[in-house]
Amino acid sequence: MRPGRRRLRAIGQYVVVVAGAVVLNFALPRLAPGSPVDYLVPPQAGTISAEERVELLERYGLDEPLPQQFLTYVGGLVQGDLGVSVRDGRPVADVITERIGWSLLLVGGAVAASAALGTALGFVAAWRRGRAGDVAALIAVLVVDALPAFFVGLLLLLVFSVRLDLFPLYGALPAVGVGGLQLVVEVGRRLVLPLATLTLTGLASIFVVARSALLSELDEDYVFMARAKGLDERAVRGHAQRNALIPISTATFLGFSTLVGAATVVETVFSYPGLGTLAFQSVLSRDYPMLQAVFLVLALVAIAANLVNDLIYPRLDPRVRAS
Amino acid sequence: MSLAAEVVEPRSGERARRLSGTARALGIAGVALLGVVVLAALGASVLAQHPPERIVAAPFLRPSGQHWLGTDDIGRDLFAQLVHGARVSLSVGLGAAVLALGAGTAVALVAGYRGGWWDMVLMRLVDLTLTLPLLVLVLVLTAFLGRGLAVSTVLIASVLWARPARLLRSQVLKVRRFGHVVAAEAMGASALRVSLTHVLARLVPLLSSQLVRAATVAVVVQAGIAFLGLGDPDRVSWGTMLFFANASNAVLTEAWKWWVLPPGLALAALVLGLALAGYAVEEWAEPRLARNAPHRSRRRRRPVEEPRPQAAGTALEIRSLRVRFGGTRPVEAVGGVDLTVRRGRILGLAGESGSGKSTLALAVMGLVPEAGRITEGEIMFGGRDLRRIGRANQARVRGRELALVPQSAMNALNPVRTVLAQVEEAARLTCPPAEARRRAGDLLERVGIDPRRHEAFPHHFSGGMRQRVLIAMALANEPRLIIADEPVTGLDVVNQVVVMELLESLVGELDLDLVVISHELPLLARWADDLAIMYAGRVVERGPVERLVREPQHPYTRLLFSSFPDLEGPRGQVGTVPGEPPDPARLPAGCAFEPRCPCALPRCATERPELDGAEGTCSAACWLAGDVSVRTLFVDPAGVADGDPG
Repeated sequence: MRPGRRRLRAIGQYVVVVAGAVVLNFALPRLAPGSPVDYLVPPQAGTISAEERVELLERYGLDEPLPQQFLTYVGGLVQGDLGVSVRDGRPVADVITERIGWSLLLVGGAVAASAALGTALGFVAAWRRGRAGDVAALIAVLVVDALPAFFVGLLLLLVFSVRLDLFPLYGALPAVGVGGLQLVVEVGRRLVLPLATLTLTGLASIFVVARSALLSELDEDYVFMARAKGLDERAVRGHAQRNALIPISTATFLGFSTLVGAATVVETVFSYPGLGTLAFQSVLSRDYPMLQAVFLVLALVAIAANLVNDLIYPRLDPRVRAS
Repeated sequence: MSLAAEVVEPRSGERARRLSGTARALGIAGVALLGVVVLAALGASVLAQHPPERIVAAPFLRPSGQHWLGTDDIGRDLFAQLVHGARVSLSVGLGAAVLALGAGTAVALVAGYRGGWWDMVLMRLVDLTLTLPLLVLVLVLTAFLGRGLAVSTVLIASVLWARPARLLRSQVLKVRRFGHVVAAEAMGASALRVSLTHVLARLVPLLSSQLVRAATVAVVVQAGIAFLGLGDPDRVSWGTMLFFANASNAVLTEAWKWWVLPPGLALAALVLGLALAGYAVEEWAEPRLARNAPHRSRRRRRPVEEPRPQAAGTALEIRSLRVRFGGTRPVEAVGGVDLTVRRGRILGLAGESGSGKSTLALAVMGLVPEAGRITEGEIMFGGRDLRRIGRANQARVRGRELALVPQSAMNALNPVRTVLAQVEEAARLTCPPAEARRRAGDLLERVGIDPRRHEAFPHHFSGGMRQRVLIAMALANEPRLIIADEPVTGLDVVNQVVVMELLESLVGELDLDLVVISHELPLLARWADDLAIMYAGRVVERGPVERLVREPQHPYTRLLFSSFPDLEGPRGQVGTVPGEPPDPARLPAGCAFEPRCPCALPRCATERPELDGAEGTCSAACWLAGDVSVRTLFVDPAGVADGDPG
């Protein structure tokens, strides 16, 4: 396929995925049991009268035909209008902008840390294939992976915050205003535990990919040749590991999506003020417009990670580079 | 084929579905963990004295005889919740996995069989589902569509089907190309029938490993959703328990011991059990994953005795070299080889595949695979025995004094580095960086690669061009001896000649010595000065080319020559000698060629003939060598033995 057509096709796929997420978001309240109005009323308002119901339907345009509603919805999205929170009446978009930075900091950090750690462990295991170190690493990673993220979070909180009092219990920012370097330190202290939890969650999948990628590279002829041409062990490893990085990079970017999901529970455990905690609070307070917006934004983050992977892949592997 | 595979595994049949020791141990541990959870689920009503969802006592009670794990924030029995929680997790895990696999299989079959638009649309749907963050998606679906256990199970399945669908679809496409499936379709069997009988049967391994994986994810997702407060309000699960524990700040009090730890560990046990069982199932489903630890040979001991000095005028002198491969079937791949490369002469080493010629080359390079080791002999090169100088020094000899042009040039270059970078990397072993770069460019040009293509990647080159790059790489440090292992195998005839001419001219130009290994005797007869014929790990005949071509002494050499017919000769299978080479694990006591030999004597079966005579003269390891009667005894199956064998 010509490079131009291939690029067009890739763009088409992303358009389809984004459209899918938008359509799903539009459809959910309308497919759900009951009237869509039920999802716009704060629970503390109690039952509403028939007149109020009609008035709400009109206000949100829910009495119009579906295609019209969809166009209105998409039009709003394009202008950054994600609706209004039913909990406190604030524009959803404002709340999201306030929070998304913390989520990106946490998830981005965890993706980077788990990729680095998982790759290092996976490489060490592969170089010791079949020996005690390999089996031990494998079992350790399987066990860590089996622990649910929120359980790991609760345990870390218990040990390091409650017992050892090393880190604050919750939040991302100190209560009293501090500035400069002090602020960075305080933010860092509050980031450590959620970051560690999320990193452990993402570790296993990278480890497995790194280990098997390097094992299959080690069987390649060019590794034998690197040794035969007189390179030292370090340089030989360099050859094999450089090639193993290709699948690891893909696994890392695709793992973004998993960690975005896991961040919801991890943020909740540590009351970290990102989108995950926002989703949790929205569930508790039945703030459906907010929940929908969180979902849409997180979906876009995951899609963006896929896109970055597609852009980086040809840089790592000259075989798919357009000539 | 991998360069080393041929020598490591002389004969590997299809591997049986047998688990490695690690996989079996992990699998058993997994099943044991699952067993505990299943028992708790089955015996929940017996084990728990209280109903899990009803308020039975005061809230926040500490563990007691009445309430083994105390009570929660509204006074429900935590132990009852724990054992009943097993039922929730297991039923959601199993239910969602079965539903997801069912849907995934259906999608895979439709996409794989219908193709076209069906495939397009379904696969885009798979892309969409796989891209969205799974847990958040289930969270939103649950918030809108309901949180009952049955609804939850369906919702979880509705996001889990995509991964198995994608994997199964590619498997369907692969299975459809199998002979018997094609045959069934050609005979008019309906697509549905073929799918059900032939294709599904082949999908079973993948289905089973994906089932375990889906169940694992389903359990984790259900627990996550419940932890976020969207569990079934009527069925307390482990996730729900932790939701209430977290909401009541149980980690800040002593209550973490009986409120946080038990459900968390129970979840971990179930997930770990599934993951461990899944590891075993995956290896069973994909036997290629089984990677036994390579057999590691004992530390090689250096010989004590000082070797006899290297003979003058020789580039390489191999003396009674033996290489053994350990493992379940010990094999002596090289069984006592004496071989000399004389200065200024090209040595051709011929033999069928598996005759030990490549292992011999690896032994000289100090690159015998981990499973094997040199048990005896001397490799005299540059005045010292390469076996005695230690691994580190051996590595220093490689590339600098002794270079290899490997077999299968297609894969011997690193796909992600430019050819110039790879030659330069070799040259840097002896040159400063700037000098190395210039040198690499010169060498590539010398072997006939256009300077404009020096920065290209290996996949831009044809096999012949890659072979030239490898030759340039071998020359990078001006070695004294080059071993070319099947340098032209797989190249077309024109390229064969070009590459061989290149090698020959380089030998003259750079004052190198060269060993060419090949299974094609005529090729060696044309380019080499001396020939050595290997059979079953031994040199059976050697001598100057003209002599060997004119009057081969060993019946094997004769048969080998006659198996490559002249253009006018009768057609037959080219390059093969009738019969099978012997099993390297069970070599005959006498001459290894005796079972295939058309003129074997009784003593050939019991007594092994040895090579004799000085280097440079002709010598054959055969009881009939030098005997005129060989010619009369000789029965040639192809009927060309009396013609000119060259």
